[in-house]
Amino acid sequence: MTAAERLRAAGDPIGDVYLTREEIAARVAELGQELAVAYAGLDPLLVAPLKSSAVFLADLSRALDVDHELDVIELAPYGSGRRGGGVRLLKDLDRPIAGRDVLLVEDVVDTGLTLGFLTRSFVERRPATLAAVTLLDRPYRRLVDDIPLGHVGFTVPDELFAGYGLGLEERWRALPDLHLVVADELPAAIDAA
Amino acid sequence: MPETWRRATATADPAGRASTGPSEADATLGTVRESPTETSPFQAYRGSEPPRFVNGAERECAQILDWYGIPWEYEPRSFVLRRDAQGRVTSAFTPDFYLPDQDLYIEVTVMKQSLVTRKNRKLREVRHLYPDVRIKLFYRRDIERLAQRYRLRIAS
Repeated sequence: MTAAERLRAAGDPIGDVYLTREEIAARVAELGQELAVAYAGLDPLLVAPLKSSAVFLADLSRALDVDHELDVIELAPYGSGRRGGGVRLLKDLDRPIAGRDVLLVEDVVDTGLTLGFLTRSFVERRPATLAAVTLLDRPYRRLVDDIPLGHVGFTVPDELFAGYGLGLEERWRALPDLHLVVADELPAAIDAA
Repeated sequence: MPETWRRATATADPAGRASTGPSEADATLGTVRESPTETSPFQAYRGSEPPRFVNGAERECAQILDWYGIPWEYEPRSFVLRRDAQGRVTSAFTPDFYLPDQDLYIEVTVMKQSLVTRKNRKLREVRHLYPDVRIKLFYRRDIERLAQRYRLRIAS
């Protein structure tokens, strides 16, 4: 029995496989080649927000055949801390990025709010260039368009996903394939009356 | 020629309607607006008067925008769709949010998707009469997805 089947048997709303590990690996390899051309002769810094981008960052780094460095940041989750406090970094970059070629590595871009925030925040630190790559692009609710999203792994349907680093409250991240989540079985998080 | 009016000048509506203009939600849901005193101070709100949200979905949207520091206004403009022979406004559309930095209006509806035909028709009229205006309609399902993503941290 696979991990997904065990979770499903335990009642977790893990649906069918949307992308197999092989399909993801093949696309990540292609992205690595695209980025190797874009950053030839440079020494880019790949920056990923924790935690759901961690698996993609690790695979993309190994697929990128140019010298590069890695760093991670962590944003406080939406709604944490005092009300109206806004986004804050739980972990900032380890070193300055002024003059560096920075590539933000995202797992999913949806509204663009997170990537928009990171873009505004990083631009103030004066990198030489700032671009972004995402494994999954879900553009249907895009609110922020002025984001430097130059490379996309897969444009996916308007569904929720688990696996390959994506999870819910720390669960499901280790699933090697990308699964659909049966969203109807998740609680509606707001009073939409 | 298509026309709009800003909230501050809405009292000029010759139909003599409420000074803030009718919203789709008011008309279709019969909901009661929140008192301004119930709303928290928003950091990114750019309106002149406290927003008076109709429902939790609107408030949730405002909080998400505010969290990410995206400047927003609440119902700043009504788009006139039709007038009668006397020039009185007989149909208008007032999107819930306006993002000035994106030049984008957002309409939030909590109606079930099967019941939004009238709203979709109005939206098509706005897009026909005001082709340069960008409006996105967020359905109940969209808001629930956003809330799931941002609150429950799925696929963030």
